[in-house]
Amino acid sequence: MPVTFTFGEWLSARSVIGSTLAELGGEYDNLWTITPEIGATLGEFRSLYPDRFVDVGIAEQVSIGLAAGLAYEGNIPVVSGMLPFLSMRALEQIRSDVCYPNLPVKIIGTHGGLVGNGGSTHYAVEDLALMCALTNMTVTSIADPLMAGDILRQSMKMSGPIYIRLGVGKSDMVLYEPGQHDIQIGKGIVARDGYDATIFTHGTTVAQALEAAETLGALGHSIRVIDMFTLKPIDADLIERCASETGGRFVVLEDHLAYGGLASRIADVIADRGIHLTAFERLGIPQVYAGFGGDEELRDKYGYGLTSTISAIMRVLAAK
Amino acid sequence: MSTSISLSSEPKHTVAELEDLAYELREKLLYLCGNYEGAVHIGGDLSVADILTVLYHYGLNVDPTDIANPNRDRFILSKGHAAVCMYISMAMRGFFEFDDIVATYGQLGSAYGMHPCKVQLRGVEASTGSLGHGLPIAVGMAKSARQKGEKHRVFCVLGDGETGEGSIWEAAMAARSAQLGNLVAFVDRNHQLMTGFSEDRVVLEPYLGKWASFGWNTVSVDGHNMNDLVNIIDNLPSSDSTRPTVVICETIKGKGVDFMERNIAWHAGSLGAADLERAMAALESTRKVVSA
Repeated sequence: MPVTFTFGEWLSARSVIGSTLAELGGEYDNLWTITPEIGATLGEFRSLYPDRFVDVGIAEQVSIGLAAGLAYEGNIPVVSGMLPFLSMRALEQIRSDVCYPNLPVKIIGTHGGLVGNGGSTHYAVEDLALMCALTNMTVTSIADPLMAGDILRQSMKMSGPIYIRLGVGKSDMVLYEPGQHDIQIGKGIVARDGYDATIFTHGTTVAQALEAAETLGALGHSIRVIDMFTLKPIDADLIERCASETGGRFVVLEDHLAYGGLASRIADVIADRGIHLTAFERLGIPQVYAGFGGDEELRDKYGYGLTSTISAIMRVLAAK
Repeated sequence: MSTSISLSSEPKHTVAELEDLAYELREKLLYLCGNYEGAVHIGGDLSVADILTVLYHYGLNVDPTDIANPNRDRFILSKGHAAVCMYISMAMRGFFEFDDIVATYGQLGSAYGMHPCKVQLRGVEASTGSLGHGLPIAVGMAKSARQKGEKHRVFCVLGDGETGEGSIWEAAMAARSAQLGNLVAFVDRNHQLMTGFSEDRVVLEPYLGKWASFGWNTVSVDGHNMNDLVNIIDNLPSSDSTRPTVVICETIKGKGVDFMERNIAWHAGSLGAADLERAMAALESTRKVVSA
């Protein structure tokens, strides 16, 4: 049974990322960190390796273009920032300067989903759709800070770019005990096993999916939870296996637009492979520019909170 | 240890030799333009031809037989639509065969296309084409050189039109902040966009003053005067210096072919056999004027 608990601010995704980058900076003398003025997590790296740290100020486009220039010269640049801005203001730089020549630039940031209460300018809700559309890009979404550190470490060996989406550091959760799962980019994690239905999710909503499964477990339902933290390349074999092992009953839950993110990725696999399902429901952000509120409040308001998740699972369980 | 290492096997050219090379480059540009069925960005190729000649045959410390040498100067064509001018300049410098460019340009599977692709064409330093992207990449390369203690320079050629992109000015600030004296930008100031004259669309003047106010070392030059361009190269600040340099090259779009000069119709185009003959004759007449 996975352990779900909050480690608190000191072990937020941001600080784990910060410590991991500082460690990796010692191991890789060609590792750089770049930020458009969102560099709090890079403090340790900056103090250890000031000659490999660049803060360009509030200028997302040059943060990515500069990273491409560094990568052309054999360096491994990690660009850290807020995803609503990196994924959109610098989208063309990511596409044409990084993905086109397939450079090993890592893009990592926070504020994926309706988190942080900044309003719609500050929510990255379409970022995964944009990033998944880019040839050569690997796309991940992670809530567990320890896992985010693992993925960053794994990404050092990759020859192409990767996008790592985090929520907001402070509220992130440690979902898995170290060593509990074999975590590999491109492979989904069976966060909880079950045989009546599968809920696929990623990032900040994994904890919510586990809670829903737990609640329904107490009522005698066996719900599988897949942490599909890699959206691209998608683990199509796991999707196919879940269809056959859990009665073809799927719920997809995500803190992203309901169309264009993980649900769409999974629907593509279902269509391409001709997988037969009994029921498919998607829970995510509808076509609105959301207003203000707490993370949970917004999920409840827009129909992908805990109660809605439990209801959706009940519906797919009841489907004939 | 501190001086840069010369990679070039080519002797330093005289101004007269460089003028001949620029003439040959223009001839080859017209020949390609007359033998390719599609449009070539001939106007901007001709405006930047003298700049690329002085770079590839005088300024850049490069060796076409050793393209990955870490000590080489880097060259980024931010105005990627002048790719043909770069390909031919590189061919004349020994990187490629001009005949290969003519034979395959724009064809399926060719490495020579409308905008340069690093992945497909060895010797190209960065994939460009979308305007406003080259200078930020050049800043990253110059920053890397500084961190590694490398003494080479990073040269970037921009069009004046693309400096309407905000990303250029983000890069200008980043370069100044990082004190990248090893970065040298040449702006092909031909005063024309695709469909009109730049000042009618966006006021770029005071142009040199804009760059100066961003903290760059600035110099203005006649971008078709080889003697002046050579002088600029000879007097570049040391790559150890702390200010990036921009050379504002006043140029004429379509330079060398009278019916193309400052003519909006010749941003891009193709030449039929008759037009090619006319263009070659026009080019030749400029040479007679110069040598008279």
